[in-house]
Amino acid sequence: MVNRTLRDIGILPIFAYPLLTAGFIAISFYLFKKIEYAEYFYLFIGCYFVFKLCEERRNDFLKSCFGNGFRKIRVTENLIVSIPFAVFLCFEFFFIAAVILLTLAVILAFVELRTTWNFTIPTPFSKKPFEFTVGFRKTFYLFPALYLLTLKAVSVNNFNLGVILLMFGFIIIMNYYTKPENEFYVWSYSLNVRQFLFEKIKTAILFSTLLNLPIMLILGISFDQNIFILLLFLAIGYASLIAMIVTKYSAYPHEINIFQGFSLAIGIISPPLLIVMIPYFFIQATKRLRHLLK
Amino acid sequence: MIEIRDLSKKYGTKAVLKNINLRFNSGKVYGIVGENGAGKTTLFRCVADLENYEGKIISDFEPLKNHLGLLPTEPFFFPKITGKEYIQLLCNARKVKIADIESKNIFELPLHQYAATYSTGMKKKLALTAVLLQKNEKFIFDEPFNGVDIQSNIIISEIIHKLRKINKTIIISSHIFSTLSDTCDEIHLLSKGEITKTVQKENFSALEAEMKEVFIGSKIEQLELD
Repeated sequence: MVNRTLRDIGILPIFAYPLLTAGFIAISFYLFKKIEYAEYFYLFIGCYFVFKLCEERRNDFLKSCFGNGFRKIRVTENLIVSIPFAVFLCFEFFFIAAVILLTLAVILAFVELRTTWNFTIPTPFSKKPFEFTVGFRKTFYLFPALYLLTLKAVSVNNFNLGVILLMFGFIIIMNYYTKPENEFYVWSYSLNVRQFLFEKIKTAILFSTLLNLPIMLILGISFDQNIFILLLFLAIGYASLIAMIVTKYSAYPHEINIFQGFSLAIGIISPPLLIVMIPYFFIQATKRLRHLLK
Repeated sequence: MIEIRDLSKKYGTKAVLKNINLRFNSGKVYGIVGENGAGKTTLFRCVADLENYEGKIISDFEPLKNHLGLLPTEPFFFPKITGKEYIQLLCNARKVKIADIESKNIFELPLHQYAATYSTGMKKKLALTAVLLQKNEKFIFDEPFNGVDIQSNIIISEIIHKLRKINKTIIISSHIFSTLSDTCDEIHLLSKGEITKTVQKENFSALEAEMKEVFIGSKIEQLELD
């Protein structure tokens, strides 16, 4: 399935895996070099990916395909995902964190997380569906974890960790904008293309501020001497989010292609490029949406 | 009023709609009938400006799409959005403020549940409620009675009558002839992308008889049931 997804976005798996490995190693080195207590954040990311595999419907599908042997597959999957993180934790001499991660990975192979509960997860965003309404319901549990880790960053006096957590908050939110919606939901708007895009951007800025507010407040109060750096990263977060929205609609009705995805990634890594990228993709998005919005 | 002039639509080299000329007046209900694949949904998508086409579509409300309520055959719902939020989304899209959505829930839908978990009929009723609350001037209902229970069928028919009374333009497609004969003022027969017949209300029973003759013929006898 991974191979198929890679082929769908236009990358041959033979190239994708070495690239992904190199990217993983580079980012890991960067994290551990730049921030103290990176192990907490690293552990959090590792657990996040393992949690993603616990989804109930996914487990049901494996059960129906492989019968009783599916637990072995689940353990193997979780270990495949967590071992790279554990290896790097060991490399950085955080053996306890590595053991915790691996143990959790094995335990979570026996857990099935329901995503289709009968009850509705409350959201503060129900007045303005849909991106944040749907996205929040899928990722609500991540934000309390981010807030707690921000408190930890303050307790160990690590501003860099706090900033990374803020950016991770933005990355989670950007994830709300990865899939193109059914054309009916664009067509329904009685707005022109520019008004539509500005409306989407306005909502994203407002609601992302709401979700990231606890992190911003904790960091702003605790590291008031670094307030300008914090504001700079906040601006980068907003710019990345805007870039994500215009990139999504520049590919509409298709998913973001490899060129667009790569450009977005480069823009996020080198934020000054976003100044060029956002208007470029905005114009592309305008062209893409013109037939649906008069 | 919606006027369609010389409308043609091709998918590649395949002509799906051929030189359609129709006029839909305000305060009238129009039915479009035809076998599966006749081009009904494509025609609706062209009117809604969801498809590129050759020809012209003129309306007294421009752009037409901003005043058009479209009920698709199979409405699409996001996985984690409630019925209430779906209505809110569609009303927000048209800048319509609805103070109390629950009081407008005439189909008694579980608005606080995720819409994706609704049955087919409930989804249709939810989509219809949202389209009605958008306060549109023109309506296209693609198979509005599909999968809907008998009580709701009666309500939908009454809604259509009410819309006609308040001078809206309504276009419906349905495979259930009785619902069309009950609600429509005029029925257009679409066959292989062409309008082959237009029938006024007084001739609906003759049309039904003719359709039975054409579509059924001696097919039932082939089953040798007796």
